[in-house]
Amino acid sequence: MTLLAVDSLHRSFGSLVAVDDVSFEIEPGEVVGMIGPNGAGKTTTFNCVSGVLDSDAGTVTFDGEDVTNVPAYELARNGLVRTFQQTRELSTMTVEANVLLPTPAHPGERAWHAITRSEASQQREREAREQAMELLDVFDIRSKADEYAGTLSGGQRKLLELARALMLDPTMLMLDEPFAGVNPTLTTELVAHLESLNDDGLTLLIIEHELETLTDLVDRLIVLTDGRVLASGTPAEVTSNEEVIDAYLGN
Amino acid sequence: MSRLELPAIDATRAGLVLFVASIAFLYSPIFIRPPSGTFVFLELAVLFLLYALILIGLNLQFGHTGLVNFGPVAFFAVGGYAAAILTANDPYRAVGLGFAWPVGLVAGVLAAVALGVLLGFSTLKLRDDFLAIVTLAVAEIIHGLTITFRDITGGSIGLQNVPRPIADMTGGGGGAELFATIVVLGSVCLLAYGVFHRLSASPYGRVLRAIRADEQVTETLGKRVFRYKLVVFIYGAAIGGLAGALLVFYNGAASASFFTIDVTVIVWIGMLIGGAGSDRGVLGGLALIMGFQLLTRFFNDLLPFVTQDQFASIRLVLVGLLLMLVVKYRPEGIWGTAEELEVES
Ligand SMILES: Nc1ncnc2c1ncn2[C@@H]1O[C@H](COP(=O)(O)OP(=O)(O)OP(=O)(O)O)[C@@H](O)[C@H]1O
Ligand SMILES: [Mg+2]
Repeated sequence: MTLLAVDSLHRSFGSLVAVDDVSFEIEPGEVVGMIGPNGAGKTTTFNCVSGVLDSDAGTVTFDGEDVTNVPAYELARNGLVRTFQQTRELSTMTVEANVLLPTPAHPGERAWHAITRSEASQQREREAREQAMELLDVFDIRSKADEYAGTLSGGQRKLLELARALMLDPTMLMLDEPFAGVNPTLTTELVAHLESLNDDGLTLLIIEHELETLTDLVDRLIVLTDGRVLASGTPAEVTSNEEVIDAYLGN
Repeated sequence: MSRLELPAIDATRAGLVLFVASIAFLYSPIFIRPPSGTFVFLELAVLFLLYALILIGLNLQFGHTGLVNFGPVAFFAVGGYAAAILTANDPYRAVGLGFAWPVGLVAGVLAAVALGVLLGFSTLKLRDDFLAIVTLAVAEIIHGLTITFRDITGGSIGLQNVPRPIADMTGGGGGAELFATIVVLGSVCLLAYGVFHRLSASPYGRVLRAIRADEQVTETLGKRVFRYKLVVFIYGAAIGGLAGALLVFYNGAASASFFTIDVTVIVWIGMLIGGAGSDRGVLGGLALIMGFQLLTRFFNDLLPFVTQDQFASIRLVLVGLLLMLVVKYRPEGIWGTAEELEVES
């Protein structure tokens, strides 16, 4: 069954049509890249799908349920998690707190449990901490656990964001330019992480500018220009498509 | 100096025990009558404890969650007047319904909560700065209303004959009442500090600090941001209303002069000087600023050629200077953490 289905999505800002009738589908376990020139509407598409922005028209179906304009927190809880184009680490909190924050179904986030320091809350916090430490280990930033996230390097912030998103145990991750501003060594490392996550069943939708990084990683590419889907298919199909070459790759 | 070190006793438990003990003390025939020379300090201590309650709520709102509430006095006033109107017996030219004081206490808290719900629902979904403007405006409007509707509130003369439960239960007159009030309010304050600190030090507080840092990210990580903001705003409102009710039951009266913008200024300055987000630090800051005011009052006595009014303005200038010094040389406040407040020091 299709995991994510976006059907005729529209979104305008005043007279500017940022997303103009975008439709695509993503199957469970796929790795799909979304490419397109600056201002093509990639981020806006993400925002509408993830509930950060309301769409003007169209439907989004995730895991068999209509989730059109469902609040962002609900989508995140239901397994559709996204990251932002600019790294958005919570710089005033420690690295550990950043990763602990998304912990789902945490009783300690309810006032009564917090005030009474309930056993359920402490138990959940212990489990969450264990999971967080494992993730920090995997992404090689465990030594930074007690530092403020604001002190991390650009690349480490990207890793932190990924670790943080994984705390939600997502079915599908939507990453907005995860390799932007990341050095080649770390990019290779990130790609390896993503591939291994995909091997474990995680579905990925990745926005990217650099086509080279994506062609090896993805099963399929969706090309956006001027808010419309210009082409879609395997990297080989897309890169040989005349229209795509004219509109995007040509320059 | 980054942390105010106090012994590691649990404030919530200690507050509960002390509260029970203070009630037992009220019911007992025992009383303690402090020397009259200390009254000026004790009266200030009562005010400190009431303002501390407001500040505990404000610090959860602003220090932890980043909600800019520029009108904490509004909730203090609404709590105070609701309690006074419901309980006053035959007030001079005002409305007094003569209910027992517990009714007034509950009503004071509920009235402030109602205001919190109203303001929270109408502004917390809008842009951040709306809350600041709306709370500031509402506080001024409420202050204006208490003066204009003098047939209900007693205007600037105030609303007299409000019950004074603590004074009534304490034998021994003047000083003994003051002492008993401090014991009761002190335990209430410690309990409130303990409860709010447990909130802020828990995963609950982690969500609040995440909201302060980046609302949108917090939402996309599965947290119901609006709900948290609303609830935190209401907690602050409730404790402000409680402080207002306690004030009128201590004074036996409500008057517009108790609920001026000065209250807002003092708790905000105390919070900023102490270090927003540091639960103990903000109370330290409030103690500093109120101590400073007391000190300048003594200076006034030493300089008889300066009138009280003139001195009040000088004091305001001095307080402003103190705040400027802190903002310049220690922007995170004395006990605050620079990294958590995103300031360079
Ligand atoms: N909040 C907004 N208000 C007004 N216009 C917006 C807003 N967000 C995006 N736009 C406009 O919508 C169009 C699509 O922007 P979007 O950010 O989705 O593009 P993108 O494909 O992600 O580009 P980039 O590769 O530069 O990130 C652009 O013209 C942009 O200026
Ligand atoms: Mg973008």
